[in-house]
Amino acid sequence: MFGLLQSGFQFFTWGNALMIVIGLVLIYLAVGKKMEPLLLLPIGFGIMLVNLPMGGLMDYEYQLKAQKPGIISNISVEEGNPFKKDAAIVQTDSGAVASPIHGRIKELRVKKDQKVEAGDVVAVILTTEQTNQAEIPTTPVGLFSRFFAFGIMWQILPPLIFLCLGALTDFGPMIANPKTLLLGAAAQFGVYFAFFLAIFCGFTLPEASSIGIIGGAEGPTTIYVTARLAPHIIGATAVACYSYMALVPLILPPVIKLLTTKKERAIYMKPQLREVSKLEKIIFPLITTIVVILFVPDSAPLIGCFMVGNLFRESGVVERLSTTAQTVFIDMLTIFLTLAIGGTMAAENFLQVKTLLILVLGVISFASAAAAGVILAKIMNLFLKEKINPMIGAAGVSAVPMSARVVQVMGQKENRQNFLLMHAMGPNVAGAIGAAIAGGVFIGILG
Amino acid sequence: MVDMELAFKIAGGGFALVFILLTLLSFTVWLTKVVTEKITKIKK
Repeated sequence: MFGLLQSGFQFFTWGNALMIVIGLVLIYLAVGKKMEPLLLLPIGFGIMLVNLPMGGLMDYEYQLKAQKPGIISNISVEEGNPFKKDAAIVQTDSGAVASPIHGRIKELRVKKDQKVEAGDVVAVILTTEQTNQAEIPTTPVGLFSRFFAFGIMWQILPPLIFLCLGALTDFGPMIANPKTLLLGAAAQFGVYFAFFLAIFCGFTLPEASSIGIIGGAEGPTTIYVTARLAPHIIGATAVACYSYMALVPLILPPVIKLLTTKKERAIYMKPQLREVSKLEKIIFPLITTIVVILFVPDSAPLIGCFMVGNLFRESGVVERLSTTAQTVFIDMLTIFLTLAIGGTMAAENFLQVKTLLILVLGVISFASAAAAGVILAKIMNLFLKEKINPMIGAAGVSAVPMSARVVQVMGQKENRQNFLLMHAMGPNVAGAIGAAIAGGVFIGILG
Repeated sequence: MVDMELAFKIAGGGFALVFILLTLLSFTVWLTKVVTEKITKIKK
C-alpha cells in the first residue's frame, strides 16, 4: 500500500496453500468428526497461521556473519526477499557468504564496496527453520516461536502436561492386576521396531529415536524426546503421534483381528477387579519414582511430573492442586503446546519426503506396538489358569484412554457379557510409563 | 553412516530395560499389596 505496507501475496506458494488445506482438514476432523478436538483444532489453526506469509508468528532471527575478510562486490538478495538454504546472500572478493538456513532478509548490514572483517554481521535473517542451536544459534522473535523455544525446547510444557496427566490417571486397575504392566512393556516393541525401520530408511540415530517413540503413543513424551534429540522433525512426529492417537479406532481393530481368533476375542474376564486401598495408590507413585529414576535418570522430568501429579490425586490432601492440574492448568498448557506444534509446520519445513516417511513409520510403530501387546497376552495365556482376553494387550499402546475404549467396544461385539474397559486400562497406563522410560533411555544415550 | 552396533545396543538394551523395570514395578505392586494387607490385619 503506497509502498509502505508489504502484503503476503507475493510470497504465497503452492506449498503454503497445501499446508492450509491440511490445517483445514485437521480442523474439520476436530469439529466435524470430534477426533481429538482439544489437540487437532489448535494444531490445525496454528498450521494455517504460519502458512500465511509475513505473519512472522514462527520467526527466528539469525545473524549471518562473514567467514573471511573481504570487500562486498555484489548483494544477491534484497531486504524483505526470501531465499533457499545455502543461497549466497552477498559476494565478496574472497568468496560468497551463504546462508545455512532458508528464510528472508530482515535487514542488510552491509553495502556494496564495503570492507568486512571475519565475524562481521552481513545480514539479519528471519527463518521458520528449527536449527541445531549449537551450530546455528537463532533467537525466537515470533509469538509461536517463543512458545516453542521457551515452552518446548526448554522442556517445560511436556513434563507439566505429564503432571496433569498424572492427576487425571487412576492406576487402580493396573495395581489390581499388576501383570498388565508386562503388556505395557511389550507394546514398547513398536518403538524399537520403528526405530530400526527409520534407520534403514536413512534417518540418523536421534531422528530414528524420535520417530520410534511415536509408537509410545504419548504426545508429551514424543515431543519431549524429539525436542531433545531432533527438533527439526518435531512438527512431523507430533502430528503423527496426535493424529494416530485420534485414529486408534481405525488402526487397532485390524491388528487385533489379524492376531486373534474369534474364540480368543470372546474370552470372558470378570468385570470386578479387586478393590485397591488408598495406601497402595499412594505408595505406587512414590516407589515408581524412586525405582525408575534410579535406573533411568533421564526419565526424571517425565516420570517425576507424572507421579507427583498422581500423588496430588491420590493423597486426597491437596484437592485444589489436583483439580487445577486436571482442569484449567492442562487446558492452558495444551493451548501453548498445540499452537507451537502447529507453528512448526510451515510449508518449507514440513513438505519434504522425510515428513511422509515419518508419517508412514509412525503408523507402523503404532500397529507393531499393539501387535506386540496382543502376542504377549497370548503367550501369557499359555501359563495362566485364568485366561486373559488377548485384546487387552493392544491397549498397551497407551493413547489413554482411547485404545482401552476400542478394546471395550470390540470385546462387547464378540461377547455381550464382557466388560474389558477396566482390564484394558491396566496395560493402557502401563504403556504410558513404559513410553516415558523408553524416551529416557533414548535421551540418556543420545541426548 | 549410522553406527549399527550402537543402534542394536540402544534397541536391545532399551527394550530389555523397559521390560525389567516394569516387571520390577509389577513385583513391588504385589509386595505393596501383601504388606498393606498385613498392616490392615494388625491394625484390626
